[in-house]
Amino acid sequence: MKDNILEIDNLHVRFSTFDGLFSAVNNVSLELKYNESIGIIGESGCGKSTLSFTVMRYLASNAQVDGAIRFKGENLFDKSEKEMESYRGDRIAMVFQNPYSSLNPSLTIGFQLDEVSMHHQNLNKIQAREATIKALEMMNLGDPKGIARRYPHQVSGGIQQRICIAMALLCKPDLMILDEPTTALDVTTEAVILDSIKELKDKLNMSLMYISHDIGVINKVAEKIVVMYSGEIVESGPKQKIFENPSHPYTRALINCMPRGGVVKENTKLNTIPGYVRKRGADEGGCPFADRCEKRNETCESLYGTKEIGEGHFAACDRAYATDVPDTFIEKLAPKKRNVDTDFDSEKELLKIEDLHKIYGARRKVYAVNGINFDVKPHSVLGIVGESGCGKSTTGHMVSGLFKPSKGRILFDDVDVSIAWNKRDKETLKNIQLIFQNPGRSLNPSHTVEKIIGRAMQKLANINDVKERREKIIEILRKVDLGKEYLKKKPRQLSGGEQQRVAIARALSISPSLIVCDEPTSALDVSVQASVLNLLNDLQLDTHVAYMFISHDLNVINYLSDYIMVMYAGKIAEYGKRDEVMENTHHPYTEALLSAVPEVDPTKQKKIIELEGQLPDPAKKITGCPFAGRCHKQVGEICEKEYPPMVRLSEDHYYFCHIKP
Amino acid sequence: MKYFLYQLKKSPLAVIGIAIILMWLVFAFIGPSIIPYTHTAMDSENQMVGPGMAGHLLGTDSLGRDILARIVYGSRSILTVALLTSIFSTFVGVVLGFSAGYFGGKADTFFLRAMDILMAIPPLVLSMVILGILGDSSIVSLTIIVSIAFVPATARVSRGVLLTEKSQEYVSAARIRGENHLYIMFVEILPNTMGPIIVEATARFAYSIMTVASLGFLGVGLQPPTPDWGMMVIENKPIIAQAPWTVLFPALAIASLVIAISIFSDFVSKVLIHER
Amino acid sequence: MKRLMQLFLRRLGSLIATLVIMSFIIFLLVEIMPGDVAQMILGQSATDEAVAALREARGLNDPLLERYGRWVSGVAVGDLGDSIYMQGVSINSILWRRVGHSMVLALTAFLMFVPLSILLGVLAGVKEKKPADSVISFLGLATMALPEFVSGVILISIFAVKLNWFPIVSVIPIGESLFENLNIVVLPALAITFVMFGYVSRMQRSSMISVMNSDYVRAAVLKGMPRKYVIFRHALKNALLPTITIIGMNMGWLFGGLVVVETLFGFPGMGSLLMTAIKTRDVPLIEACVLLITVIYSVSTMVTDMMYSFLNPRIRFQGGQK
Repeated sequence: MKDNILEIDNLHVRFSTFDGLFSAVNNVSLELKYNESIGIIGESGCGKSTLSFTVMRYLASNAQVDGAIRFKGENLFDKSEKEMESYRGDRIAMVFQNPYSSLNPSLTIGFQLDEVSMHHQNLNKIQAREATIKALEMMNLGDPKGIARRYPHQVSGGIQQRICIAMALLCKPDLMILDEPTTALDVTTEAVILDSIKELKDKLNMSLMYISHDIGVINKVAEKIVVMYSGEIVESGPKQKIFENPSHPYTRALINCMPRGGVVKENTKLNTIPGYVRKRGADEGGCPFADRCEKRNETCESLYGTKEIGEGHFAACDRAYATDVPDTFIEKLAPKKRNVDTDFDSEKELLKIEDLHKIYGARRKVYAVNGINFDVKPHSVLGIVGESGCGKSTTGHMVSGLFKPSKGRILFDDVDVSIAWNKRDKETLKNIQLIFQNPGRSLNPSHTVEKIIGRAMQKLANINDVKERREKIIEILRKVDLGKEYLKKKPRQLSGGEQQRVAIARALSISPSLIVCDEPTSALDVSVQASVLNLLNDLQLDTHVAYMFISHDLNVINYLSDYIMVMYAGKIAEYGKRDEVMENTHHPYTEALLSAVPEVDPTKQKKIIELEGQLPDPAKKITGCPFAGRCHKQVGEICEKEYPPMVRLSEDHYYFCHIKP
Repeated sequence: MKYFLYQLKKSPLAVIGIAIILMWLVFAFIGPSIIPYTHTAMDSENQMVGPGMAGHLLGTDSLGRDILARIVYGSRSILTVALLTSIFSTFVGVVLGFSAGYFGGKADTFFLRAMDILMAIPPLVLSMVILGILGDSSIVSLTIIVSIAFVPATARVSRGVLLTEKSQEYVSAARIRGENHLYIMFVEILPNTMGPIIVEATARFAYSIMTVASLGFLGVGLQPPTPDWGMMVIENKPIIAQAPWTVLFPALAIASLVIAISIFSDFVSKVLIHER
Repeated sequence: MKRLMQLFLRRLGSLIATLVIMSFIIFLLVEIMPGDVAQMILGQSATDEAVAALREARGLNDPLLERYGRWVSGVAVGDLGDSIYMQGVSINSILWRRVGHSMVLALTAFLMFVPLSILLGVLAGVKEKKPADSVISFLGLATMALPEFVSGVILISIFAVKLNWFPIVSVIPIGESLFENLNIVVLPALAITFVMFGYVSRMQRSSMISVMNSDYVRAAVLKGMPRKYVIFRHALKNALLPTITIIGMNMGWLFGGLVVVETLFGFPGMGSLLMTAIKTRDVPLIEACVLLITVIYSVSTMVTDMMYSFLNPRIRFQGGQK
């Protein structure tokens, strides 16, 4: 017991709401040793955030708690609010998901850090500021004195989060809780932050509780893993064991439904979990995963409970007992056969982009897209990848007609369509469809599914007969695996995955020849993402539509694309056939991006290329290479001064860099 | 609806508010037929009698007119004007605010400037000056002028809710489907902004009653013999020391109605905003 | 600071533009008034010739724009013209004394309701859903819903009629100044305070609640900062920002309220003067009063706007990103 810093015993957290009492955390017990890091993984709504706030004893007034949380042997539920104040920020510190809203907008950064050490360590103002500067230096922030004088809105998101972590470090806490700290950040920023968290944990002898939905991130920072589902722990154990021998069906599904380790659509169909996470009532028993589990049988209700299946390895499933070889779970589903030749070289391009520019704003200009050329072949999938602000979405929106390009041409089937939606003809509007990132926002909340899909058909496919239209809608709904009972439902009554299926059905219902998919899976949980990706792939093979697939997630892009285009600061960094870009990477930025993607296999840990600095200011026109200044391979002054030439490696693979192959 | 009733059960104040509003509506409709006096009849034998005396439930004023009758008749005109005003100003506000916010650019700038200028005169002062200059206010002129004075506020609110909805992706989806502006504004966006607009309209209803009563008080509202609650307060103010009921009851009538509507408006906003 | 200066100049420019357009609208408004000014000056018994002669002499037959130009150029150098009803007394000689009285009244009310409503609003917001909140919220709702003349009547019947503490009418005896009769300000100021308290305290409460539920307040609590410190150092400043806007926006109601309250109490201010001017159809006086109310109202909105920008670092340091 003495070597545990944190013990949670039979913790229950319930909330009473309009719909009745529901359970957010159910019978959770876990232990965390000194200087150990535990990773808590689960999809949204699984209770992982509630768990972390319960440890801080910060809960809404409609919460009912039961059980014990012992920190260094003392039960936190016995403490008064005053006593809790001396734990929070001092012995237990927390870092949140959204750094921007977690910093007070009207106080300087320095003030917000100083006050922590002034309160907990009774330092005076000058000493506190010294401690602040030290903490900021620890997070490798240049010019800490200058940063301390600024307000939060004056620094970027990545720096804001590093400031929040520095704030948590001020009192050298014994336990640090990190609640999805890198989810809102770009992957290269995430890589740098994860590295420094790991380093500081050992340096300061901290224990970590790291919460994430991303198994790759957990793999990087955690020694022990806890998998949560619908408020309960379904599996826990040392990282190695969880990855080598995932025992609970949910853990297996979770690991297998991610496109990772270079899986591509031609070889593998992604595993999926049917259904979605339900809210659980307070008195529901049995296995919470039973309704979505493929291995479910009659004992799921009666024999439910946690069992030790290896040293320190627990799972809440009786099938986990059986000598069921896990390999049979990591089954490889056969992908649909492609009946189109994957060699697109001979085809004439469907979409041709020439010198495309987009400048937003009149007085304060934002250079979003700065002159790009590429094309999309019919029936192919072009994946556009890059970090936020690289211009990938703007490009997609210009192609679909939401904005008019500032300069350059968009040729669709040899017709110039570089005009906005209100000038485009019906045929073009019908042929280019757009699927948005957030299905909840892209479907009108006051219209029914029938109206949402039907209106597109009526408007662009000229199907005016109500009966005929309804039949077509039912048919298209069936294609996206939804029954006809969905016709009269409104978006609010659907889960995120179902909403995105409706959005896909809307786009497909009028048989377009190109669909721009703008991050269509980023707002979804990984298990739902897998089924949407499978669906998109199958539908593409059926209908021969071409996709322009935009995503920040290199794994997803790699899985679905035939061609990959890497964008940086409104420019193309590298373009080519998928395998060529992934295996024969040439642009330093593509290299950095690839290295930053968290690895899911614990045996493979790769060296990260850490990018310093930030994206160039979009308000300035760049003359040199946009990546100069952050590039780990910079060759010299020429990078800053001259825009790099195109280096063509093959007909279908080129990049822009001063470094020759 | 189920949620509405659930919330209602939890909030006794809202129940009281709704009950008071219903009570006034009933008074306005059937009141005149059950009260033995009309609002102009002068009972010359019973001038300034206290409440409950000589068959006058709420007493009489210095001319012997029945206070209750005057309040009940007065409720008709004030409810009519206030209801029309809130509907009218919300409607015009939605049309103006939606058009300005939707099209943006120069139209929007012009709209904002115009509203700024209109708002530079306080609404009560504006309607008071116009009504005073025109003289002889009627239900129609009162409604039109108070509505005009309210339009800047309702239009700004409508513009605000439109702007938050406009950035939603379903609007983009409608655009690249080739929908026209009117369809997008009123079929796509409007249904999703009904919550805040209804809340604004109910709040406007309360403001209208206050404004109309204040105008009556200032003597530029409805002209005699139409009874007006505000006017009753000012005309009986000289006898407040001798016959306080002549002032107090009309004052209470205004207070109860406005408070009830405000409670209702608060409740509606709680229910509608939670549902979103 | 440079940004604030820019903002100030831009606001000043739009203020002047507003006033110019407003003055024209006011002029037009009075133009549509039924009845003939010359007839009014001379009375019903005047002969048609006399009326026509006066029209000519006062330039009433000139085109609209010319008369507007004459009026505005007069106003610009501080000449507001003469009152018609009071037989040619210059408006300057009556108006400014009244304006001074109104300002004293408005300021007294302002000093009462601003601290009171912010204090109670914050308290209600912090104690959300507790008894203190319920009491304050209901009080706010009730006072907000009472027109000034209703609360004024209630105040009169309690403090003037029953208790006899303050006068029923606010008159300044001839030859004395307001400062020798400050007791007449109390009840009118209270009546205004009532309404404004309702608006401001309710706004303060809801902004306090939303700030208390914000991520950064949660972060401050989880840093172990004591509750009081979190409320005063982290929440209050951000929660005050929307309140400042609301106070500015409600200045309109305050001025509307002034007219009502001054009429009710017979208080010798600008509002009751405007009322008299309307009743006596005194054109130049109406114009002068309305223009002045517009000026004061616009300036006070501008001041609150500038205060908002000054207190909000996101505006003060906009574009300072490095």
